[in-house]
Amino acid sequence: MSNDDFGMESLLEVFIHETEGMLEQLDNILLESERAKSITEENINTIFRITHTIKGSAAMMNYGGISSLAHSVEDVFYILRENPSKLALVFNSIFDLVFQASDFFKKEMEGLQGESYAEGDPSEIIAQLEQQAGVIKGERPPVVESVPAPPQEKPVSPDAVRIRIVFEADCGMENIRAFMLLNLLQPYCEELSSVPANPENDSSASAAIIRDGFLVLCRPAGSVDDLAKVIESSLNVKSYEILENAAAPEDKKTEKASPAPGEADEGTAAQAKSEAQNLSKGVKQSLISVNQTKLDHLMDLVGEIVTAESMVVGNPDLKGLHLDSFTKSIRELRKLTDELQDIVMSIRMVPLQGTFFKMDRIVRDMSKKLGKKAELITEGGDTEVDKTINDAIVDPFMHMIRNSMDHAIELPEERLALGKPETGRITISAKNTGGEIFITISDDGSGLDTDKLLKKARSSGLLTKPESEYTEKEIFNLILLPGFSTNTAVTEFSGRGVGMDVVRKNIEQVGGTISIASEKGKGTTFTIKIPLTLAIVDGMNIAVGSTVFTLPITAIRQSFKIGDESQIIHNTDGSEMIILRGECFPVLRLRDVYSIESGTENLLEGIMIQVDCGGSGYCIFTDELIGEYQVVVKPFPIFLNRYDLKNKGLSGCSVLGDGSISLILDVNTLRKE
Amino acid sequence: MRKAGNNMTETATESVKYDGLQDRYLLFCIGDTNYGLPLAMALEILNIQPITRLPCVSPYIKGIVNLRGKVIPVLDVRAKLGMVERGYDDATCIIVIDLHDMHIGLIADRVSEVLTVPQENIIAPPKNSASYIDSVSDLDGKTVLNLDCEAFFRDDLDQNLS
Repeated sequence: MSNDDFGMESLLEVFIHETEGMLEQLDNILLESERAKSITEENINTIFRITHTIKGSAAMMNYGGISSLAHSVEDVFYILRENPSKLALVFNSIFDLVFQASDFFKKEMEGLQGESYAEGDPSEIIAQLEQQAGVIKGERPPVVESVPAPPQEKPVSPDAVRIRIVFEADCGMENIRAFMLLNLLQPYCEELSSVPANPENDSSASAAIIRDGFLVLCRPAGSVDDLAKVIESSLNVKSYEILENAAAPEDKKTEKASPAPGEADEGTAAQAKSEAQNLSKGVKQSLISVNQTKLDHLMDLVGEIVTAESMVVGNPDLKGLHLDSFTKSIRELRKLTDELQDIVMSIRMVPLQGTFFKMDRIVRDMSKKLGKKAELITEGGDTEVDKTINDAIVDPFMHMIRNSMDHAIELPEERLALGKPETGRITISAKNTGGEIFITISDDGSGLDTDKLLKKARSSGLLTKPESEYTEKEIFNLILLPGFSTNTAVTEFSGRGVGMDVVRKNIEQVGGTISIASEKGKGTTFTIKIPLTLAIVDGMNIAVGSTVFTLPITAIRQSFKIGDESQIIHNTDGSEMIILRGECFPVLRLRDVYSIESGTENLLEGIMIQVDCGGSGYCIFTDELIGEYQVVVKPFPIFLNRYDLKNKGLSGCSVLGDGSISLILDVNTLRKE
Repeated sequence: MRKAGNNMTETATESVKYDGLQDRYLLFCIGDTNYGLPLAMALEILNIQPITRLPCVSPYIKGIVNLRGKVIPVLDVRAKLGMVERGYDDATCIIVIDLHDMHIGLIADRVSEVLTVPQENIIAPPKNSASYIDSVSDLDGKTVLNLDCEAFFRDDLDQNLS
């Protein structure tokens, strides 16, 4: 790859990254404002700035569609900024349009990242935006008409004036500029038409305008000078000529005083001013964007350092030596590596807020489309998770929210009839509980119907035991099975062939678990538990014979020795149980689970570890505890994928200080229900 | 699952890349039999080292070892070929090979030498789909069975990629 290519590519990357960030901000502002039923002045300014920046960078990157759409959004907000009171006129339609515009931008961004990019055509949205701009300015009645421009051929009355306007070369978007000019002229004219007519609807009109100039046919309400003033004050007009009477054209050619009015015109000036203000009051930007692969690499390196450090500390050559100064230095090193590791981890952490906002958008869109009323309440958006995990949960979450909107939340009438508040409520909340993130997604919709679920499972042949033996929880879990989808009809939003089984798979891929609670008629709650980070875990190393296992500290409740065998209860099926504080826990001998030949069989010799997994716990019996270590999780080699070790209680492996390997236990899959 | 034909082209490009490795084979022994492996596939040879055993895997997969921070699976060629296993000794080696960018360790009784086998000394074996042998070469009365790694790992890869 040549240097030039690389430069352009990274420029594109930066463009996409920046634009996506700004679009997210735009969406947030819009949602917030729509809810508040008004836009604060500050937000208007922000939207204006965002669209202005997008316009600029898109034009630089040569994406005309994006640029011109951003331009027209910017125009609308430019007017609003001057006249905030006019907002009420167009409130609803503006929001829909800006959302449409934002969607268009997002689609373009996706396209740009894809294999082949074809520019989209935003002219429809632009036309509607222009129309709304007209409404705000009071030049058009706030009645929505599909074809806003006047008919092409109007009888021009005797005192009609023809004005030929030439725009500055290379100003771009001539058709839009022409249309804006028409809007400006409107109040001064009794009749108004133009050649080409309806320039805003047809971007090809630009070429004609550049070639022939833009011809305005009008009958001025006042003097022709008023019109001249308007034209002179508008942007990017290079020159104009007023041909007084259509029949006897009398040239009155005026060359605009300043040939390049770009800097001086009021729009840019105001813009510059607002930017300057923002600069002075804003905090200095100290954020930089970094390629994620670099972060991954850094993470790997830190992992290696942690391992290497343990190798030095636990080096067998040091055995039996008393090295005070060495120990001191090691302690210093350990402190630094710990800090380094914390920092690298924190770099990779992103707040869930961004993901939550996406959900907000889905709820808004779907409630409009489906005619349902719903609000999304988010809690704990500032909870941070590893970027990889964040990326992995966006899709499952979107799917669950869609499901809730589509299937769970009832129509407003139904809700009122059921005695529920008209507006449905979906709550998504996250909290950090030490090593794990707890996320719940709940709705107050119809809830899961166990009879329906069972019936459906029966017809799909998913039942493995008599129906009467299924507990409520087991029935709910049926929806997580592949090939289960309660809705027979495929709707626009959910039911695209992916079901909750995909959601579960995605969550499990990042080491998470999902559980369901539901009450018919009251709503459903999904609880998702995800590890904070994938890369490094605090673990307790335990040994069975010569095999070393690592048990994540977060899963351990306590460890203890058994005083005498009588504490063990033998179940009828031969399994062992132990009673701790009035609760009965099954005992799992690692030695037997993994058929390890060495290792003790005597319960009195080994040690019991009580672990927690998704509400139910059990005890693991092992030979000995080796100690607490930080270990770097490495996945098993791909070669071993066919053995599906992840579902057999092993989440990965880790290289220990002495170069040997420990197997990391996953308490959730270790014990089969 | 990649087809054998694909492998041929791959080996071809690889031999272009590793010019000089063409026609060169790494010879290892299982009992009294000599096996050959295209030298381009072999990454390195390790002395036998402690192997972390894995539960729930086929008996011929002996476990995983740490190769400078990289975790690689180790297979016993003897067991894979269905021969009687024997204890490991000082001569026992782990040959690390690269198969579709996966690093795999093969346990062999011993590694004997690297040989250049001229094309004319290579004889195609009788067609047998169950065989792991690609060809047989005959050198100064020494018979070498050239391992077809693609076939050798077919069982393992099949379910990997599905």
